[in-house]
Amino acid sequence: MTTTLYEDRESAVHRLNPVTKLVAMLSIIIIVFAVQIWWVALGIVVFVVVPAAVVSGTGGRLLSLSLKLLLPILIVLVLLQGLFFPEGTTVLAEFGPARVTVEGLMFALGIGSRIAALVLCSLVLLLTTNPALLMTSLTQKGMSPKMSYVISSTLQIIPAFQTRAQSILLAQQARGLRLKGNPLRRAAAILPLVSPLVLGMFTDVEERSTAMEARGFSSPATHTSFVVVEDPLGQKIARWVLATVALASVVLSLLGVFA
Amino acid sequence: MEIRFDQVRYSYPSGVEALQGISLTIASGERLAIVGQNGAGKTTLVRHLNGIFRPSHGSVHIGDWATEGRQIADLSERVGYVFQNPDEQLFARTVREDVAFGPKNLGLEGADQESAVAEALALTGLTDHADVHPHHLSLSERKRVAIAAVLAMRTPIVVLDEPTTGQDEFGVRMVAEITQSLARDGRTVIAITHDMDFCAENFERVVVMAQGQIRADGTPADVFTRSDDLERAAVEPPQLMRLAHELRWQKMPVNVEGFVATLASQGPATS
Amino acid sequence: MIELRDVAYAYPDTDHYVLDGVDLSVTRGEVVGVVGASGVGKTTLAKIIAGFIPNVEGGTLAGSIAVDDVQISSLPLAEAVAQVGLVIQNPFNQISGAKFSVREEIAFGLENTGVPRDQMISRVADVAQLLRIDHLLDRSPYALSGGQMQLVAIASVIVMGTPVLVMDEPTSQLDPGGSRMVFDVISALTDAGTSVLIFEHKVELLREHADRIAVLAEGRIVYEDEPRTVLTDDRLESWSVGSTRYTRAARAARDAGLTALDAALPVSLSDSTEYFTTQRAGR
Repeated sequence: MTTTLYEDRESAVHRLNPVTKLVAMLSIIIIVFAVQIWWVALGIVVFVVVPAAVVSGTGGRLLSLSLKLLLPILIVLVLLQGLFFPEGTTVLAEFGPARVTVEGLMFALGIGSRIAALVLCSLVLLLTTNPALLMTSLTQKGMSPKMSYVISSTLQIIPAFQTRAQSILLAQQARGLRLKGNPLRRAAAILPLVSPLVLGMFTDVEERSTAMEARGFSSPATHTSFVVVEDPLGQKIARWVLATVALASVVLSLLGVFA
Repeated sequence: MEIRFDQVRYSYPSGVEALQGISLTIASGERLAIVGQNGAGKTTLVRHLNGIFRPSHGSVHIGDWATEGRQIADLSERVGYVFQNPDEQLFARTVREDVAFGPKNLGLEGADQESAVAEALALTGLTDHADVHPHHLSLSERKRVAIAAVLAMRTPIVVLDEPTTGQDEFGVRMVAEITQSLARDGRTVIAITHDMDFCAENFERVVVMAQGQIRADGTPADVFTRSDDLERAAVEPPQLMRLAHELRWQKMPVNVEGFVATLASQGPATS
Repeated sequence: MIELRDVAYAYPDTDHYVLDGVDLSVTRGEVVGVVGASGVGKTTLAKIIAGFIPNVEGGTLAGSIAVDDVQISSLPLAEAVAQVGLVIQNPFNQISGAKFSVREEIAFGLENTGVPRDQMISRVADVAQLLRIDHLLDRSPYALSGGQMQLVAIASVIVMGTPVLVMDEPTSQLDPGGSRMVFDVISALTDAGTSVLIFEHKVELLREHADRIAVLAEGRIVYEDEPRTVLTDDRLESWSVGSTRYTRAARAARDAGLTALDAALPVSLSDSTEYFTTQRAGR
């Protein structure tokens, strides 16, 4: 009942501490964008991201999501850069103003593989990470519980409001509201649908803050955690290593090593 | 306008079967109460009346209309549905404007619309509040606005989903009066309720539901004496019937007047 | 435990006092039911006792509100909250939204107040068993019916273990069986020493479980006494408070000359059975 992609499953990837996965994702993104070598990103996708997807059993879902999200972007990219790359000199084919150049295709490959790494990595994170555990582990690492509250409740409130919006729609339709028809009628349908939802949100916010206070939200006591997420030493070390590599790649990039 | 459920089965998308073959005929102008535990299928059943749910098997007819193939807005011409939560439908700046929404959608204009609204407001005791913003009213009053909003649509059938829940005494009496008045007008009234006393006092027919099936169907005096069925449906009889049972009476009173009449006819107490 | 003296309150930016001179007290282990018309100020009173007015909602508050002889208004909100638990009317808003399972949702308040983990685990399990929601512990709090959500909301406040509990229409979404269960839980809590103030319309259950019933009308507590005394008073209807059918039948019988004029009116099945078998006027 949340706006997440998470699929509950058992796998080595699922069992990783969520913060480890988060750090891995961020490190990978930093590395692929810092290191100006086109096959690095591709290599990471093939040797890190895809195996992770396979091991976690989310390969199928990843494939269908990437076809929907990634493929259109990549196609546009290849078309634009492949066909109109201004610095292209080695021409492979020509269609009027559009020139397919080797340089253009290489450029497209470079950017494309980076974007693919970013998207696929993020998707694997979302598919294998329980948002509740992510919030808990971040809080364990020192994130403010209030921040965790804000993020988690936003994820859950949206579908809850969708349910309420649906109830409102039914109630108004039961009073004869029709959605189809001329634009004027459809515009008139907005107020009876939106107004109860918005008004409801305002009353809710007031009441909810009272209710949250009633459950100690502003308590000065040190926050404890009902759920404890394991954080083995090996993963702690791995996170430091990843972060260091990411930092190093940025430094090296700034020094022009990859130019 | 007769209502007919023919072997209606309904399953939620999750697969849970909420209605297991319901066949029920409700005559024009009948006052019917539906009782049973939460989860028994009461709301699922009545939501078939205005097309919110369509049967997975079987059919529902409102008069000569099958609900299959009709939109909710179409069916709202014949079935007025008062939802439990008034805050999910009140949207206008004044009570009057909100109550006028239904009739307007049904094509009532001008004087017709005005009189439908005025009538509904009078019936629900809201005439003095007509130009008030609904959010300045108490929950009980807002529930009455929701009822008025449906009454103004002048539908031959009115469905009330837990009309007395959360109401104070004045609100409950008002709902009772409204039910009686609708019946006098020849309109069919169907109510879901947990208040057995309200049920016995205002409805001539009671349907007891449990686990997606009808367990009992008859007059209150009839149904509320079927202790086995009631127990299995986790429903308790109205207070006066429990009392009559303790007093070993044969005749089951449905209201205070009936109780007193039976008491009077009993003659002096033996001592 | 709770003592209200001459409490008056006006909403922010108005000088109309919705509450004007409320006197009310609840002792340790007592259940006090508050009845009254819709909109008379019950929810406002509940929030005042729990310390949320005027701290969170503003307005003008006068009078003395003491919990265990300590003025609630002098306490920081976090301490007031540790004394008085509040179950609000709308369970949807009591659910934090921050937790993805009922189990964690119930523990939310305990996490905030720094309860050690092993204690949290046992307290959550205990309260879930008490309210018979064990089978819902792994569900999302938003994948519940209205009644189930209400039980989870109640559980999440009870688990905090405050000495005082204020409940604003906690059975509104429940069927008679569920309502009775909640009242049984309240009785169990008060047996263990909790003080409970409950705002309700269901007079039959109040009659059975409350030690006293107070009527809120015209901004004050206009009447307060034992349930049977309050629920047989002739003025109830004018306050928009219901009475049981037992009482109504007895009153009608008395007015029709069928039963003795001076006999105390019954309120329950047992005392009305007794009433009608013994209190017959000769003809």
